[in-house]
Amino acid sequence: MIGAAPIPAVFFDGQTAQRHPVLVSVSRDGLGLVIDLKEDGTCWLWPLDRLRSLADQAATDSLKLTLHSETDDESPRDLARLVLSDPDMVAWLRLKATAMHKRDLRRGTTAKIAKRLGLAVVSIWLIMFVMLPRMSDFLANRMPLETETKFGQAVVSQMKLVLGGGDGGNLVCRNAKGEAALNRLASRLMQGRELKYAISFSVLNHDLVNAFAAPGGQIVILRGLLDKSASADEVAAVLAHEIGHVEERDPTRLMLRAAGSAGIVSIVLGDVSGGSAIGIIGDQLLQSSYTRKAEAAADAFALEMLQDAGINAAAVADFFDKLAGLQEGFAPPEYLSSHPSSEARAKRARDHAAGQGGTTAALPEADWIALKGICNR
Amino acid sequence: MSLNSDGIIRYTGQSSPLFKLAFTTGLLTVITLGIYRFWAKTRLRKYIWSSVAVDEDSFEYTGTGLEKLLGFLIAIVFLAVYLAAIQLILTFVGLGILTAQGNELAVLASVYLSFFAVVPFFFFAIYRSRRYKLARTRFRGIRFGMESGAWGYAVRAIGHYLLTAITLGILLPRQTFYLEKFMTDRSYYGSARFEQGGPWQALYAALKHVLIGLTLLIGSGIIGGLVALPLGAILGVVGYVWFMIGFVYYRVKSYAILANHKTLGGQVTFRADPSTGVILKTVILGGIAMALAAGLAFAILGGIFSASISGYEMAAEPSMAVIIPVVIGYLLILAALGALFLVMITQPIIAHLAEKLRINNIEALAGVRQRASDTGADADGFADALDIGGAI
Repeated sequence: MIGAAPIPAVFFDGQTAQRHPVLVSVSRDGLGLVIDLKEDGTCWLWPLDRLRSLADQAATDSLKLTLHSETDDESPRDLARLVLSDPDMVAWLRLKATAMHKRDLRRGTTAKIAKRLGLAVVSIWLIMFVMLPRMSDFLANRMPLETETKFGQAVVSQMKLVLGGGDGGNLVCRNAKGEAALNRLASRLMQGRELKYAISFSVLNHDLVNAFAAPGGQIVILRGLLDKSASADEVAAVLAHEIGHVEERDPTRLMLRAAGSAGIVSIVLGDVSGGSAIGIIGDQLLQSSYTRKAEAAADAFALEMLQDAGINAAAVADFFDKLAGLQEGFAPPEYLSSHPSSEARAKRARDHAAGQGGTTAALPEADWIALKGICNR
Repeated sequence: MSLNSDGIIRYTGQSSPLFKLAFTTGLLTVITLGIYRFWAKTRLRKYIWSSVAVDEDSFEYTGTGLEKLLGFLIAIVFLAVYLAAIQLILTFVGLGILTAQGNELAVLASVYLSFFAVVPFFFFAIYRSRRYKLARTRFRGIRFGMESGAWGYAVRAIGHYLLTAITLGILLPRQTFYLEKFMTDRSYYGSARFEQGGPWQALYAALKHVLIGLTLLIGSGIIGGLVALPLGAILGVVGYVWFMIGFVYYRVKSYAILANHKTLGGQVTFRADPSTGVILKTVILGGIAMALAAGLAFAILGGIFSASISGYEMAAEPSMAVIIPVVIGYLLILAALGALFLVMITQPIIAHLAEKLRINNIEALAGVRQRASDTGADADGFADALDIGGAI
């Protein structure tokens, strides 16, 4: 092509919408294109190494060309465009202008992506773990009791669905003797105390070693916990701990946080309707992922409650030891999944128990047997 | 190559290269768990934009996949904060996702409230998306562009939709007109501004088939109740089909009427004359072809799957050696169907709309000057996060 006759082409200068007919030829050294504007004799030299062709074009027999150039544009490209349709010239350029298909990322692009990605992740993290908990705390303390109770019912029925696989209604254990024993245990714990909530207890027939508190004062025990407890004292310790959560409004806080997280998850997963979020709420509540601070407060509350009721706090320690053992074993540590460091808590309970005197069993032996059989029909 | 006084638009895109492009990018999107979709969209737009030529000069799409990814990241953070707050507040007032079962009214209310909370963002995203598309479109080296105004648009759109709903649809033409005018009057080609003229009442002409369908439906109710039930039923079906087709007619004709009342730089005018019949035919035939292709492809895949597991009669569950090829086959079919949709329905409609548009007095464009570049902040990110706009 070097020395060949100039070829007619179309040129757009990038400043006006004018369509310039031009003559294009290869420069004498073969390293550039000479664009000759016929109107007034202006000439441009486009070096081949800076020549770029537009990608993914419909026309395959012509080339739309521009120059690599550090502009403020979305891509580092010159504003001018040159449209070449001469087959020989197109073929020659495809052979010689080897950089024609280069993408030319701006310097620092990788850093920019990393920065933006990091910012997005950090922001979402901040929203979920700083903003949401704060807002939840703020709102939880102002939520009407009525609304809380309503949600508690929703949470419990949701949980029944999750645990019972659709047959949630038959999950509640209703053995009369067992219920009577549970009530006696509860009233012994709460006797002489001014509680903010009217707390109710129920047992669900399920193997998980777990207990949770729903907003509004419903405390639910799963049968697995009764099976694994050696004495009524241990059950009393767990109940006292859950009452502690209820009194601090922890379940309400957790529920609000879960609802907020669900909003975030729905947008990140691209599901604005919120369908995928419901599972997450259930999961979070079942795992009772309270904060360490909330757990410590509930522990302290439980120890005090046991003290007042004259129940041996060593049971708490026994229970923690057992759960620590469970954590090491194959059985999933359901109850303690978010309750960190069982050993440390067991020690604290044992220390407390050392200072106790005149304790009696939480329930008489007959009642304890009845409670264990609460799920028998 | 002389400039015609009438700018003639041609569409030069072909089926097989677009299919190849859409299929490869669709596959890459699946493989990268959706991340490549920003680049896929960009490349498809580049192809389609470059297929539209006015007097030999093709359009250019200059958007990049990278800016779309970055914009998406901004948009989801923004929406995450917003939706988290909304859910929290809904829950606080006793609604929200975990509403008590049995209380259907509360469930319904919470679904609607969370939906309506997002509505302003939908309109916001629609405006931003159009602005971004214009800002990344060039013709003869000159940028298109749009002024900012997404929130203004969202507020007006909500107002118009409410008004249309209250008046039982009678003011739909007014809504269509003013929303389009809001966007058009803020649009530019280089230094030249677009303007939407014409009385909004002109759009009632486009609404006629919707009204005929509606009349038939009402008539069918009266006849079915008072004269003869079968006759009423037949009339009802006819009325329903007429009503649905009437809406397609409304979209096509209102587009044409609006285009015919647009001016660019006060001198350039447009003449759009698209045919509802052609578009309907494309949609219906394309839809049937797609359904057949999907049915056939999945039937073959299912046949291969059942044939290959029948060999493992003893095994309790099919091995990975069977499952992996089936999953790959499934993903290939999905990517192919997406590409087929683009080739059989989207592209023919764009081609038809382009070829039925003429630009009068196009030589007046020679005086247009370049405009400053638009950073395009969210680059379709909101539209992507809210799932508006489809493949391109």
